[in-house]
Amino acid sequence: MADLLRQAWTVARKDLLLEFRTRTALVSALVFSALVLTMFNFGRDPTAVATIDLAPTILWVTFTFAAMLALNRAFQLELENQALEGLLVSPLSRTSLYWGKLLANLVFVALVEAVGLPLFVLFFDVPVGRVLLPLVGVIALATIGFVAVGTLFSALVIRTRFAELLLVVLLLPFLVPPLIGAVQVTARLLGGRPLSEAAGWFRLLAAYDIGFVSLATLLFPFTVDE
Amino acid sequence: MSLAHKGRRITLLGLVLLAGVYVRALAFTPLERFQGPAQKIFYLHVPAAWSAMLAMGLVGLCSILYLIVKDLRFDRFAAASAEVGTAFSLVMLTTGPIWAKPIWGTWWTWDARLTLTLFLFFLFIGYLLLRGAVVEPGLRARYSAVLGICGLVLLPFIHLSVYLFRTLHPQPIVLKPSSPSLPGSMLVTLLVSFAVFTLLYVGFVTQRYALALQREAQGREHA
Amino acid sequence: MPDVPHNGAYMVAAYIVTAVILLGYALSLYRRAKQP
Repeated sequence: MADLLRQAWTVARKDLLLEFRTRTALVSALVFSALVLTMFNFGRDPTAVATIDLAPTILWVTFTFAAMLALNRAFQLELENQALEGLLVSPLSRTSLYWGKLLANLVFVALVEAVGLPLFVLFFDVPVGRVLLPLVGVIALATIGFVAVGTLFSALVIRTRFAELLLVVLLLPFLVPPLIGAVQVTARLLGGRPLSEAAGWFRLLAAYDIGFVSLATLLFPFTVDE
Repeated sequence: MSLAHKGRRITLLGLVLLAGVYVRALAFTPLERFQGPAQKIFYLHVPAAWSAMLAMGLVGLCSILYLIVKDLRFDRFAAASAEVGTAFSLVMLTTGPIWAKPIWGTWWTWDARLTLTLFLFFLFIGYLLLRGAVVEPGLRARYSAVLGICGLVLLPFIHLSVYLFRTLHPQPIVLKPSSPSLPGSMLVTLLVSFAVFTLLYVGFVTQRYALALQREAQGREHA
Repeated sequence: MPDVPHNGAYMVAAYIVTAVILLGYALSLYRRAKQP
């Protein structure tokens, strides 16, 4: 188990180091998120609907897009440098390869969300102060769900012609349950509702995460093995 | 008799029997007092749903079996089932709103049933798109199997999340659709329709499977 | 007693659409098999 985690970390570190050397993808994702948030501001009528009602949707659509951006670059690096073959003949287990990718993607998306959330609070004047901890919790849960399935699917589309487009088409149906859960919990948190009301949704998110992380771990070897 | 021929025969029989279902449902099954003639859409919509679910279930099952045994026949069957499932999903997606409008007063509603229908359709389409994008048969089989299994696991989550979502936001309903206990004649029509739709599923899948075999053989000739 | 609703048009539409889809698919399968 420790071996697995260590190997996963090796894979993740390599990916993240590559990422930070150029920083292009990260900066693009951050700017993209800021732009999406800005667009949402102009895409609504503030007199018709209260910001607080739309806020959860705005936040989560933005985060979903950011996650998609992150995933699109997941295997591209490998493909460009033909490093994937190198990884596969190495003594690294398939499982640690998946977990490494998952970890790297999660760090990437977490960074984008870490900047996106304050921007969101700023732009839409949303009171998150008192509910920050549970909010971060639900963001983490939903993001794990998105990225777990997304990392698996990245491996499926990597050699196809319209990889980015295909990834989105395949992935979006899978993002709906965590998205519904995340928006529901966020709405309750921002609305000052007691946490107990959101308990069912938290359970759904957790079940989804456990289910799909396990499934993806199980299935990932089939995407890279002969 | 070749597989393709057998498939065509079964499909033809299915279509003829479908005409029979049409006649029985439209002319020989009593009208539902509160919902009127539109209720009869039920006799097509529900069996189509069954066929689509069956198709999805078999895609999932064959995907699992393929990954375990690596027998391409399972992959071929899964692909056939996915295409046939798409057709039945399309029937669901069209008859659903046509039924909803007179009964519920709106063309679309995000209730668990219709939403699941939509997702089933998306999953089938995604599956077929992925297959279209991967050329090498072995790779295609593996990738499709992974997607197929994920899709199957997704369905209960969709159902659960939509159900939880809906119970919080009840829709104003004009007329409630009829609940379980169906009078005898209606039940018979429904059951016969189920049987016919299942037969159509078998016929279609057989034809589609045979088509795949035919194309593979032709591919080998040209190679 | 309320009158039975007059929504027969929807029924006809649904029955036609279903037939079109199923027959259309059957035809598609048939024609694809006939191609070289």
